[in-house]
Parts: sequence; structure tokens; C-alpha cells
Amino acid sequence: MEEDLALFAVEHASKLGAEYVDARLEDHYNELIIAANGKVQRGVINRKRGIGIRTLVNGAWGFQSTTDLTKKGIKQATEIAFKVGKASSKHVPTPVKLAPAKTYKTSYKTKVKVDLENMAFEDKLKEIITWEKKLHTSKKIVRGLAEYTGIKIHKVFVNNEGANIRFFNSLAWVSLKADSKKGDMTQFYERTVGHSGGYEIFQKNDMEKIGLEVGRKAESLLKAKAAKTEKDATVIVDNDYAALLVHEIVGHPSEADRVLGREAAWAGTTWWAGKIGEKIGSDYLTAYDDPAIPGTLGYYQYDDEGVKAERKVLIEKGVLKGHMHSRETAAIFGVKPNAGMRAITFEYIPLIRMSNTFFGEGDWKEEELIKETKHGYLISCMRHPSIDDKRYNWTISAQEAYEIKNGELTTHLRDVALTSIAPKFFKSISAVTKKVEILPLPGCGKGDPMQALYVGNGGPYIRGVATILGVK
Amino acid sequence: MASILTSLKEAGDAILKIAEKKGLDEAEAYLVSNKLLTIRLVNNAVFESKGVHDIGVGLRVIKGNMLGFSSTADLSKKSLERLVDAAVSTAKARKLPFKYSFPKLGKMPKVAGIYDKKLAELPSEKAVELAYGMVDASMAHSKKIVDNAGVLNVVNYETLVLNSHEVSAKNMGTFFEASLSATAKNGKNVSEGSEATAGRSIKELKPKNIGEKAAEMAVSGLKSQKLKEDTYPVILDYEPAVGVLGYISYLVSPMIAKLYFPLFLDKLGKKVASSQVTLIDDPLMPKGIGSAPVDDEGTPSKNQIIINKGFLKKFVYDSFYGAIDKKKTTGNAVRVSFAVGVSSFPGKNYNGEPIPFARNPYFKPGKWKREELIEETKQGLLVRRFHYTRLTNPTRGDFTSVLRMGLYAVKNGEIADALKKSRLLDNLLNLLRNVDAVSDKLVVAGSWGDYAHTPVIRTKAHVAPID
Repeated sequence: MEEDLALFAVEHASKLGAEYVDARLEDHYNELIIAANGKVQRGVINRKRGIGIRTLVNGAWGFQSTTDLTKKGIKQATEIAFKVGKASSKHVPTPVKLAPAKTYKTSYKTKVKVDLENMAFEDKLKEIITWEKKLHTSKKIVRGLAEYTGIKIHKVFVNNEGANIRFFNSLAWVSLKADSKKGDMTQFYERTVGHSGGYEIFQKNDMEKIGLEVGRKAESLLKAKAAKTEKDATVIVDNDYAALLVHEIVGHPSEADRVLGREAAWAGTTWWAGKIGEKIGSDYLTAYDDPAIPGTLGYYQYDDEGVKAERKVLIEKGVLKGHMHSRETAAIFGVKPNAGMRAITFEYIPLIRMSNTFFGEGDWKEEELIKETKHGYLISCMRHPSIDDKRYNWTISAQEAYEIKNGELTTHLRDVALTSIAPKFFKSISAVTKKVEILPLPGCGKGDPMQALYVGNGGPYIRGVATILGVK
Repeated sequence: MASILTSLKEAGDAILKIAEKKGLDEAEAYLVSNKLLTIRLVNNAVFESKGVHDIGVGLRVIKGNMLGFSSTADLSKKSLERLVDAAVSTAKARKLPFKYSFPKLGKMPKVAGIYDKKLAELPSEKAVELAYGMVDASMAHSKKIVDNAGVLNVVNYETLVLNSHEVSAKNMGTFFEASLSATAKNGKNVSEGSEATAGRSIKELKPKNIGEKAAEMAVSGLKSQKLKEDTYPVILDYEPAVGVLGYISYLVSPMIAKLYFPLFLDKLGKKVASSQVTLIDDPLMPKGIGSAPVDDEGTPSKNQIIINKGFLKKFVYDSFYGAIDKKKTTGNAVRVSFAVGVSSFPGKNYNGEPIPFARNPYFKPGKWKREELIEETKQGLLVRRFHYTRLTNPTRGDFTSVLRMGLYAVKNGEIADALKKSRLLDNLLNLLRNVDAVSDKLVVAGSWGDYAHTPVIRTKAHVAPID
């Protein structure tokens, strides 16, 4: 990919009078396979290349993307990006300022062993069908579903401050889901395996075995007992459930644009605006966002503003420490930018997004947590969230749960969801295990137009108090 | 304008020739030019103006019993060769157990009011002023309004379907989506309001109206009471009715039903809703938000009843899912991308294969005026907004939404107290079965890229306060 085209856009916008300009020239390869009940439903290869040009004109943002990569096309797009920025500036009472950021000239790659394009589409499909077939562990499995996504991105970022960063990224994940049925009762179970890297992830994991496990779990839920509503129960959430929990009640409200009310229209705001430095949870509550973890879905070394990635401490021992920032919000908060900006393709303006957000470790062992619980519940594996606009009240369902009696797992439970208020739950956290896992979450939505992005989320096992919502 | 269509046609013809040369039995090119301008409003100001011009093609090929798909945004000759090869490689992986052929040529109907030259050519400066007009109107409505956030999307698309059966169907349209959320403050009390609408022409865009409605809702919630958890008669105003409609649209797609939301799978011909509920899909509706003369594989549009007086009459089909279920296409091919990391803008999308989906669905209006629905409710709730609506158990129908704003108690036929934020927790099938009244007028409403025509519906639902 010729970076000259991106440099041309930057130069042209500067000539027009933009005080800041950056350009992302990108080449995308995406493949998608959906298989259900032994048959292929979708088999897709998408390619897209183009450029996104962002300008700051009289303190207002303008942006234009185009798939026309001729000099004429880029010139035209640059002029539109300048023009719309200028038009916006009439209604921007406080001009945008950017926090200073060191400029980098570098190139880096995600570590890949098996390049997605070096393996025949047909071969991938055969494998995915095989895994899907494993979901059908008995006649009680009425639907199996396997969804595979592979992505390769070659990106060049340049700006008028001299940054020039090239990134070759590769990601792959598979979700396996089984629906079971007995009489009128239906249940389902699902699991996602994925990473930043090549196809090797599916060779490292025994995918057929995972398929079998998912099928058996879906079957076992037919025999499980329906959960009953119980107020303020002791709950131990596992890594998988913690992943969605941290995503929804720590990750999203930590986005500084959201804190500033900029996502108020659709996504919402956050209850902890203005509370930095305040104690919002127990000493056992710590949370980070860290893009620089190779192998995770949220991996990158430089964000879409060219800022070098670092671990962001969001909450430390119960104290709200900081947010995820763009250069603009960092200037507003008077802090260093911390590489929170990403766009799914060159066609979108970057937004503040999670990378890998996770709860920090403690010093307990999982077995100890269960052993020390007289009466409580082990809540296992995320299902669906529904969160209020301030990320205050949350309801998240789980795939399954076990009642704990006198330190032992007893009754297997289905149809279980937890609900609580974020600060109440945070303050209730009384123990956290040592082992932290970061899991793939491929579909995080934000922005208008919506950008569905892949992130990593996770944590240790966490013990706290929440209300169990059973079947009505 | 003509030059875009000409270049799309040239690329499409070139693709069909390459496909023929490579010995493929059939090919279908879906070519798109999609222009989008977005003005985002944040903290009472214009936050950013952003544009997208996306030109590209989605290609389906058939060789024997194999079907493949690929897409590209690069229309150079070399890239088109690679596109056909990629579609062939996906075809090798997908052998169909049934015979499949792309749709044949049909007579194309006309649809009025779906393209507006003035909207298509709206200058960005004017778009910024129109968007900001919503903020202005909200601020002017009341001094209690302290914050506004919103968006104006303006879309101008052209598509062309070419296939080996001589289908050559072009489609062009314009639309806007405009929304505003306002925050009112009075002492310690803070309340939100919002308004969201869409339309096909610049004439339909009324920023003042949007701003005032958002502000009015925000101010009306300043004095609010806590709701008592119970099952209530609930009047779902336009926007929440679209929220319900959106999920019903999923349920009547055989693809989505089979893969994700199977609630209606075994219910064809059975009663799935009260007799008040009739669901129509009419892509021929003049000015219809989802209207077009053809679907996304070139099949002529037609009006059809999907649920009739509570009975599920049919699922909607494109040609492929029709072939699977041994049914004819109902003209419901819609291109959406299922892939994460692939763009999916308001407007037309060439990145995905067609799926069967309702195109311009609405609940058939009933006899009641909206005011009468309220007047005839002794004790219930008026729900004007849904937020974060989810089918939390898609196999059973558990349904939840945060009633973030615009929630009111209805007492003895009058809107009484505004109520604090609450959560609706019920079952989608129960909501449908309990519909006892539908209003007489269709209004365009929606949220976050999901707009439709809808009446107001009254049903029953369990609602609990959020502490």
C-alpha cells in the first residue's frame, strides 16, 4: 500500500488550512463462514481498501472517507473533509484542542503462524462443519451453529505532525452454539474461541472437543433446575461472566467521551462522571484496559491517533483512577492521551473504544472461594446484557449456575440472571482469584453510524452480592 | 449522477463477462454507490461532520450446485478478476443439496416519493444548519434545558442488480435520520427527553419539531415518582412500538429464525398475537422508509400480509431461502453484512449476501386515536421510549428494555405523573398476545439506525423500578 496517497491527503488538507489532519489508508480482508445443522449458511470473502481523512478546522472535526484511491478521488475527499469541518466550526463554542502526543515512525505486525489467506477457504469450511457436527451430541440438540470470522488489516496511519505507523493485523474467532429441546423447554449453550493471530488458534485448541462440550452443556441444561429469584445473594462469577460484566459496567462507562456526555443520544452517559479519585468499590476491585497484550482481540501498539498503547488503570483498589482517552478528551481532563481511539475501518471516524478491559487479580484460588461459601451461587458464562444508560443498573444473564451449599457445588441451575446497581455490587466484592483470563468479545457496538468492534474482556473469579433473577 | 451509474454498469458488465469466461453457470453483480453525511451534535454544539462515499460490488456465482459470494470496493480490472476468483473459492466450499438459480426478469413497479434531488444534493453547510436547528429549538423551548445531543444522517444511494438472466434493476433513493436527546435540569432534578424520526425528502425534515418534542419530554419528567412494580396495561408509543416491530421482523425471517431467534419456527398458521395484530410488509408504500421498486436481488416489490389478525400467515423469503424451503421468493432479499469488522452504514450495503427480511413492515393501524387509547386506560403506563432493548432469551422470548425516559402513569384516562427510570421485563410473545388496541395513524419513529412506520399499541407488561 502506497503511503504516498495518505501523505498527499495530509499535505493537501494542511494547504487548505486544517490545523490538524490525519489519514488512515487501509486494506481489509474479511472472511465469514456460518454453518448450521451440518450445512453452510454463509460463505463470504470481503475485500475493501480506501482512505479516511480527518481534519480539524477552526477547532471543529471534519471527516471524509472514500474508496476512490486515485489522486483525484483523494483530493476531492480531502476537500470535503475540510469543508464539512469548516461548516461545523460555526457551532463549536469551544474549539477542539489536542493533548500533545509523541510522534512515531514504525511498522509492526501481529504474530501469525498460519496466514488466513494461505489456507484454502474450502478446507476451513470443512473443519467448521466438522466442529458444528460435534455440537449434535444427541437428538435433544435441535440446532447447531458455528460462526467463523477471519480478518486481515493492513493499515497506514499518517498525520501532519510527522507520525507514520504501519500495522499488519490478523484476527480469527469461532463461536459454537447448541440449542437443546425437550418437550416445551428449550435451552442453549455457546462458546467463542479466538485471538489476534492466524488460523493456528484452531489448531492449538481441540475444537471438536469444545464442540462436544458445548453440545453436552446444552443437553445438561434441560435437566437443570430453574433458578429462583433471591435478593442479595452471595455470588461467585467466573472469568467468562466477569468478561461481560467488566465490559458493560466498567469498560463502557470508562470511555471519556461517554463521561463527557457525548454519547448521550443513544448509548448513554455514566454515573461516575466527576468521581475520579473517589472510592467506588471495595479494596478487591481493580480494573484495567490494556491494548498491548499480544494474542488478544483488542491488541494494538498504536491507536488510530498514533498514540502509543499503554496499560490504563481504570479502578485501583476500589478507587476510580482514570478513563480511556482520545487526544481531545485527554486535553479536556488535563491528562496524557492513553491510546483509546479506534475505528473499525477507514470509513469511520475513530471513537474511544475498549481494547482489552479486565478486572485485576487477587490472591484467592477458585476452589477456596467455593469452599468458603456457606450459601451462594457460582454464576458461569455470559449470556445477554441489558444495562441502563448511566451503566448504573445492570442485568446480565448467565448460561448456567450452581447453587453452593456448605462449600460445595450442588444444584445445577438454568435461566439465571443477575441484577444489581454498579456501586452496590462494586462495594460488595469480597474476594478475587489469582488467575485472570481475557476472552474474545467480537461484537461491541458504539457510535452513529454504529461500529461493531472486536475487543478482549475478562477477569478472575469474583465474589460479591447481587440479586438472582429467576424465571417469572 | 449518471456517471456513477454508468461506471457501475460498466463494472457489472465486466464482472459478468469474466464470470462467463471462467465457465460459471450464473453470476449476479450487486453494485452500490452509497453516500452518507453525518452531523453529530454533542453538548449543545456540532461535534463532528463526517462523510462516506462507498462504491463497490457484491458478487454471487453459481457453478453446478455450488454458490459463492465475494465483495470488493476496488473496481479495477485486476481486482474484478480477483473478485470472481474469491467468489469461486467460496462456492467450492458450499455445495447445495437443492437446485438454485438467481431470480429471473420481472416487471418493475414504480414507487413514489423515495428520491429527493434536494436531499441528495444537500450542501454540507446546510446540513449542519438543519442539524443545529434541533438544538436551537430545544434550547428555545425551555430555560430548563441544559444539554442536547443528537445526530442527522443524510443518505443518497444508487444500486444496480445485473445477473445472467438479464435482470438489470436500478434503484435510487434518499433518506434522512434525525434525532435529539435533551436534558432538563431544575435544582437537583434531572430528566431526559428525546425525539427521533426519518424521512425520504428534505420537506419531511422538521428540526424545530424534533427539538421541541425532545425538550418537552425532558421537562415533563422533572417531577417524577417512583413506579410500583407490577404488571400494567402499557401504551407503547411510536418509538417503543418500533422496538417491538424490529424483533418481530427478525422472527419472520426464516434465516434468522433458524439460526438465532426460533420463536416462530413452529408457528406457521398458528396464532402468535392477539386479533388486533396484523403485520404488513409494503415496500411499495409511497415515501415508505423501506420502500423500493425491487428488492436487493432485483425481484419486484409487492405488498403482503405476514400476520393476519394474530395468525402467522407466512415467513418472508429471498430466492435462496425460498429454494431451501421450497417456496418462491416473496421479494424480501435484503443485503446486510453479518461480519464483524465490515462496514454497515445506513443506506445500501454490498458486503453481504441477501438474507430474507421484512423491508417496510408495519402493524396495520386500528380504530383508536392515540388520545383515545390513553382516555380508555383506567390505570396503566404510557411508554414513550425504549432503551437497550434485548431478547435476553431468544429461544423462550424473554424480553427487556430500560424505560430510560418518557415514562408516565396513566390514571383514569389521563396522563398523570411522570415516572422515574424503570425496566420492562416480560416475554415478547406475551406482549403480542396481550395487544388489545392499536391506534389509527402510522408515524415514522425509531432509534439508532432502526426506523419504521408504526401506530401506537396497547398491551400488558411487567415493569419494575430501577433503584
